[in-house]
Amino acid sequence: MIEIKNVTKSFGTFRALDGVDMNVRKGTVYGLVGPNGAGKTTLLQCLTGVYRTDSGSITVDGQPVYENSDVKERMVYIPDELYYFSQANTRDMMKYYRGIYRNFDMDRFERLKEAFPAVDVKRPIRKLSKGMRKQVSFWLSICCRPEVVILDEPVDGLDPVMRHQIWSFLLSDVSINGTTVVVSSHNLRELEDVCSYVGIMNNGKILSAQPMEAIEENLGSMSLEEYFIQMVGGENYEVKDILV
Amino acid sequence: MIHLDYRDARPIYEQIKDKLRAEIIAGKILPDEKLPSVRELAVKLVINPNTIQRAYRELEAEGFLYSVAGKGSFASANQAANEARMDTVLKQITPMIAELRELGMKEPELLEHISHIYEGGSQDD
Repeated sequence: MIEIKNVTKSFGTFRALDGVDMNVRKGTVYGLVGPNGAGKTTLLQCLTGVYRTDSGSITVDGQPVYENSDVKERMVYIPDELYYFSQANTRDMMKYYRGIYRNFDMDRFERLKEAFPAVDVKRPIRKLSKGMRKQVSFWLSICCRPEVVILDEPVDGLDPVMRHQIWSFLLSDVSINGTTVVVSSHNLRELEDVCSYVGIMNNGKILSAQPMEAIEENLGSMSLEEYFIQMVGGENYEVKDILV
Repeated sequence: MIHLDYRDARPIYEQIKDKLRAEIIAGKILPDEKLPSVRELAVKLVINPNTIQRAYRELEAEGFLYSVAGKGSFASANQAANEARMDTVLKQITPMIAELRELGMKEPELLEHISHIYEGGSQDD
């Protein structure tokens, strides 16, 4: 479904992506993990066509993403920093998305009201709390009936009940429609449950990419968190004791 | 309904397998009763459908489930599955018993523990 080949992207002299290869099959929930500054957000922004890559190729279903509205119409992207029109309320944004996404599902929009009771659809989104703004973005995204869902730190600001509910909606679409999800997150406990594939990124490269099944076999009694620290920090990693 | 224990060190698919297997053996899921679909379990437990699929696939290989194309998975009425499981568990406890022997536990002490379990005492006593 998604093919990323040898992608590089620099900002000035800083090389944020340094030859990234990544393959995501349809119906996969692909977890992207890595330390701060690894290049996860840059990769997601290249994948969604926000950035143009310096070299390499990114295709979805064989078609390049950059400046390609046919492909982008089948994708939704929930960035870490949300953006809405300054005075818009949820209903206004719904109408905007409905105009852009051909598959926008009004029936879903109405039905999902029940899941987001705290969101007042007539209140300007900028007046909602951070968590509620995030709820709005999921609500609208699920209604777009996307084939590909790209999420950057999706659970940031959401309470545990809401996180559970939203993942449940996403996994329902994964199992029925074969929706493909790429998610960057530091919440490894959660990724362990919802992902079927995990890629570990560091210094603009993918260090390892494996099916969850294979990782579980390597883990033994380790948690994904311990595995991550070992992969990124190296075998002999220790926390620094330098305060006193 | 299955509840997952997040402090449990076992992989999630194994937890799901163990709980479903226990329910089938205990008769809480009756022979030929339909199990929840992969989607239903994935959505209720908030677990990747692949993980559920894997648990079902392995339970089927163990003989506790059978699947009907287009209809879903059903509990087996199979006594042989039960016996196969006994065999597996027996193999699992054998090295532990050997270790107890090496640690110096005498046979009567172990037998007493076993009778206690058979009389309905808790395994943690």
